[in-house]
Amino acid sequence: MLRSTSPLLSLFAFLLVWGAALVSAVSTTGNRLLAVFDDVGEKENYSKFLGDLEGRGFQISYETPKSESLALFHLGERAYDHVIFFPTKTKGLGPNLTPQILVNFLNANGNILHTLSSTTTTPNTLISLLAELDITLPTERTGLVVDHFSYDTLSAAETHDVLALPPPVPVRNDISPLFSADAPAGQLLAFPHGVGAVLGPREQLTPILRAPKTAYSYNPKEQSEVLEANELFAAGQQLSLVTAFQAINSARFVLLGSAEMLQDKWFLAEVAAPGGKSVKTFNREFAKRVSAWAFQELGVLRVNWIEHHLNEVSAVNESNPHIYRVKNDVTYTISLSEYAYDKWTSFSLPANDVLQLEFSMLSPFHRLPLSLDKAHSSPEASAYTASFKLPDQHGIFNFKVNYKRPFFTNIEEKNTVSVRHMAHDEWPRSFVISGAWPWIAGIGATVSGWVVFVALWMYSAPTDKKVGSKKTN
Amino acid sequence: MRFTQSLAPALLVLAGVVQATSWGFDDGSVSVVAKRAGDAGSKERFTSKTLATKPISLGSTDTLKISLTAKDNGSGKRPHQAFVILKEKETGLEAPFPLTVKENGKAVTSITHKDLPVQFLITDEPLEASIVLGSFGSSKALDAPVFDVKLQKDPNVPLPSYEKPVRYGKKEEIHHIFRADPQSPPKVISIVFALAVLATIPVLFISWAFLGANLNHLSKAIGAAPVSHATFFGSLLAMEGVFFLYYTTWNLFQALPVIGAVAVVTVLSGTKALGEVQSRRLAGER
Repeated sequence: MLRSTSPLLSLFAFLLVWGAALVSAVSTTGNRLLAVFDDVGEKENYSKFLGDLEGRGFQISYETPKSESLALFHLGERAYDHVIFFPTKTKGLGPNLTPQILVNFLNANGNILHTLSSTTTTPNTLISLLAELDITLPTERTGLVVDHFSYDTLSAAETHDVLALPPPVPVRNDISPLFSADAPAGQLLAFPHGVGAVLGPREQLTPILRAPKTAYSYNPKEQSEVLEANELFAAGQQLSLVTAFQAINSARFVLLGSAEMLQDKWFLAEVAAPGGKSVKTFNREFAKRVSAWAFQELGVLRVNWIEHHLNEVSAVNESNPHIYRVKNDVTYTISLSEYAYDKWTSFSLPANDVLQLEFSMLSPFHRLPLSLDKAHSSPEASAYTASFKLPDQHGIFNFKVNYKRPFFTNIEEKNTVSVRHMAHDEWPRSFVISGAWPWIAGIGATVSGWVVFVALWMYSAPTDKKVGSKKTN
Repeated sequence: MRFTQSLAPALLVLAGVVQATSWGFDDGSVSVVAKRAGDAGSKERFTSKTLATKPISLGSTDTLKISLTAKDNGSGKRPHQAFVILKEKETGLEAPFPLTVKENGKAVTSITHKDLPVQFLITDEPLEASIVLGSFGSSKALDAPVFDVKLQKDPNVPLPSYEKPVRYGKKEEIHHIFRADPQSPPKVISIVFALAVLATIPVLFISWAFLGANLNHLSKAIGAAPVSHATFFGSLLAMEGVFFLYYTTWNLFQALPVIGAVAVVTVLSGTKALGEVQSRRLAGER
């Protein structure tokens, strides 16, 4: 169904988009960004990262958790579109940033990028919020990820707490490689003094960057000498270093295990894995992509239009009819666009992934792959189509596209149509059914017998012939 | 991940050549201790360079004991990281089991079925065990595959139930299975029976003729009431024609008024025509 908006609303939207375009490229959900620091002076360390964000059109407000005026909501509306938390030393984040408020912020389509550091204890508020999302941090709220195999030999030859990792590959082969696509060969990601998290079995959670096999997490305060066998928090790929969470409403939460990887120092640094050459870090590009994903600039999908019609010879070519008949041939087409930093582009499916159409009444009767329809695609939108025969069951059905994938906006589109049964005059005539021929012949025999009988009854003269036994008085 | 995998063999080769120190171990041994007394467990030795030859089988009540002496450049020392990592080859799932290490590098751990993740228990693939030793400082860490473990399942103990967690992704395709179209018997049979039915018409007519049926009174009847007889018989034929049109093209609402009109004609002409027939009967001619 084509979305109809009132002319006033679309004019308003146009002005809004036009106004935003004048400023610069911007996120699809707004450009008001709140950066929470323990001490606003710390932002100097992140000047390149924050400068990149401003360059992409974000208006950044800086606050500390202690600030009285800090409020995520004003008169029930979100006061900011996105929040980025830098590590804070306080035990909690104060009454203005309770876990409840942060969850409400996500429910109101706000996005959160949260950074951790092994040098500061994670605030309780955050632990409670992460518990809501099924993310677990090390006990004592302190952890440090080390790997004695892939550390940076230049800055952490002794402590091994700066991980030098290749750009992340997706955890499954049907997930979009948003964060590693086109990464320059040989570049390494520096992950200094980071915290690893363990993820629960929730489909909304996806690790962006996982620790290598030999990495492990320990508490630098208590386990710096001996790591007791029964006190290990997690190790290897079970440790998620950068985690993405996308709620049902497509609000996004990113947990970045190392705040330091966003600092200017690591944007410019060179790192060297043991036995390797020193190479430039991938951090600046990675930080750009992670923040762009968190703040709805990447992986945002939009449904432009949906169209379905009868696909039969000599059929009335009406778009989106409300009623079909059982066993009709129909064609369904959906147009999707993907946002990339500053413009809508055509959406192409990740390799090995499929966009599926369900035709369902309570449960799906058909679940079919949609294929790219080049004729209706453009550089801004790509159309996907499928043609099929409706099931031989009448009722109220839905054309349903339920495209929920890691790193992409959730798409759930339902178009309801009635499917009626065959009308009495749509069945094949009895004379084309060979099984009916004896019965038709029977009717012919009856009719001709009747007509001749009437003629004989009226016009036959009595004869003298005596046949059988005649009744005699 | 890929990075460390490619690095690990290189590390083994380079150890002792390029770098001054590296982690290693001696006295590596793995044994299976059965719960029942008197059942002497098997014992296998391994080093970082030689894999144990055959997979070690671990029963559901047995305990797998692994012991080794960690050495930094030949002398016993406690590393910060001393793990046995079990890996399921098919899915790549890994589970780390830290060793309890003493000051002098002596390290032990024991693993039973209870300690293993449920995904390991339901697979039939052998698990690959590797030893990871590493610590802070410049000593090169060690990651060496050492032996395979085959889990022996007790057929009397049901496997733990495991449901794969829900993940967003493509689902199985579904194609609706249509009901079969109605079937007709073979055409030959239909044709034979249709002909048999049609054959009854001449049989009927011939038997009537045999019984003396004739149309001898036709001229008399036409002479007495020509219009009503022609109309009555014609209306009967017309009624059959209406039925034929209803069967082929007309719908009920087209057919009904015509049926009504023809029926009126039949009744009006029929009274006259049948009156004439009655008069013939009263006259004793029938």
